[in-house]
Amino acid sequence: MTTRPEAERPLYFGAHGELFGLYHPAATPAKKAVLLCPPLGQEHIRCHRLYRQLARTLAGEGMAVLRFDYYGSGDSAGASADVDLDRCVADTMAAANELRRLSGTDHIVAFGARLGGSIAMMAAARLASLVVWDPVLDGSYYVMTQDALQAELGHDPQRFTTPRMPTDVAGQWLGFAVSDGLRGQLASLRLSPSTVPTLVLDSLPSTAVSRWNALDASCTEIKTLQLATPWDDLARAEIAILSHPLIQAVSGHLRATV
Amino acid sequence: MQERAFRFGRARHMIGIAGVPEQRSETPGVIVLNAGLVHRIGPFRLHVELARRLNARGYPTLRFDLSTVGDSAASDESQTREQQVCADVDDAISLLGEQAGCTRFVVIGLCSGAQNAHTVARTDPKVAGVIFLDGYAYRTLGYKLRRYLPKLFNPTSWRRALTQRQRSAEVVAGEPVFSVAPLPMAVVRKDLAGMLARGMKLCLIYSGGISNYFNHARQFRECFGRVVDHPGISTHFFAETDHTYILTGDRRRLIDTIEHWINQQFPVVNTGASS
Repeated sequence: MTTRPEAERPLYFGAHGELFGLYHPAATPAKKAVLLCPPLGQEHIRCHRLYRQLARTLAGEGMAVLRFDYYGSGDSAGASADVDLDRCVADTMAAANELRRLSGTDHIVAFGARLGGSIAMMAAARLASLVVWDPVLDGSYYVMTQDALQAELGHDPQRFTTPRMPTDVAGQWLGFAVSDGLRGQLASLRLSPSTVPTLVLDSLPSTAVSRWNALDASCTEIKTLQLATPWDDLARAEIAILSHPLIQAVSGHLRATV
Repeated sequence: MQERAFRFGRARHMIGIAGVPEQRSETPGVIVLNAGLVHRIGPFRLHVELARRLNARGYPTLRFDLSTVGDSAASDESQTREQQVCADVDDAISLLGEQAGCTRFVVIGLCSGAQNAHTVARTDPKVAGVIFLDGYAYRTLGYKLRRYLPKLFNPTSWRRALTQRQRSAEVVAGEPVFSVAPLPMAVVRKDLAGMLARGMKLCLIYSGGISNYFNHARQFRECFGRVVDHPGISTHFFAETDHTYILTGDRRRLIDTIEHWINQQFPVVNTGASS
């Protein structure tokens, strides 16, 4: 069963109506509700289509779904330089409350890719369970990777006819301004083991460092997706990330755990 | 000012965000079209930053997703692509007109968005201005001389050209490419002349990111002839920027240029009423 697109409802919510959301009501009375936490920066744009496909799939399977944008991202209020990790966690909790109100369901599962997964893990106390896709557990490695990509970008002959000055590329990651505050928050990010049942979907390249050692095996299940996702490939920085295996894995897991 | 989210359109199939300044004025509304398949926020949130800057200046805006792009669904009509784009933009114009009371509109589009803006501006009398970001352009003789003549005598260029050819062949083999055939140059030239004759204001802003077919400010004239001498047309070439304005400083400069042009062509005259 699928939901009719016109049932999807765009809205603003939160204390000052600053957060944008798109609510996908369930095709049948909702058994559970799923909050989709987006990644940050360019990964947010690259994952937009996939999040929409996932939301429509889950809604068709009887789950109410809310997609939303953190303050300073997407269609929410605030400038890109205003993105703040603590505010993202607070926005996630506000979005969970909004989803409870919209769906009439208290059982909220959160899904998040990359930093969206990390943010969901930081907000886990208010959630029933999590599905996270290649979450960022070690923020310092993430910062180092983004800095390297940004430095490479300034000299990318596929993008610029002449190399750009270091001052032109400073203070931003792949198109988005990054404040010193956010950089500092990410550099010190070390995620603690999740306290709620968590499924980790792993599609990082086999060369990626750290993996999932930091997670508590007692409440974490790890499932590997066959194809590696090219998160950090400059040549694909503006190419959408699509993954039917991911959608199948998430919907299958949520169906099985109703 | 707070933005508002809408589901709208003849099949209630499209999603858009309207920004309507509190102070009513007789300015045109600004419609921002999708750039390729990127949803309505635009590449690196360009459309959000642009819309909010124009709202602060007093211009109502609507950024939205065309049928089947971003969060918008299909309209389930049997239409050509051009008919669908015109109908979508007409729906967007109706929505912004209802929300802001404006009767004239400026349409902005980047890349395929510029092509769609061109399609709409050919026929829609409510369109008073168009901003084409990396719109139609053609490899003129001047382009070829500027591109290839200096390389003829440079061994490094020969070496690079050979390796790049090999690399681009690999990309073509690996990645499917979907594109719409551009209109012929003579047709575009005639269309632009027709738009100007109808009193429309046009702004063409091209970037260094399309250096595979556009490489100098002079090329506007090489492509479009004496049309570019018309006082209603303005041209800008940002040679150092990329196609989607990935650097924040480049994006700020683009938005400054657009804001300046709109304010020059369509100055804000407040009517004193609040919405």
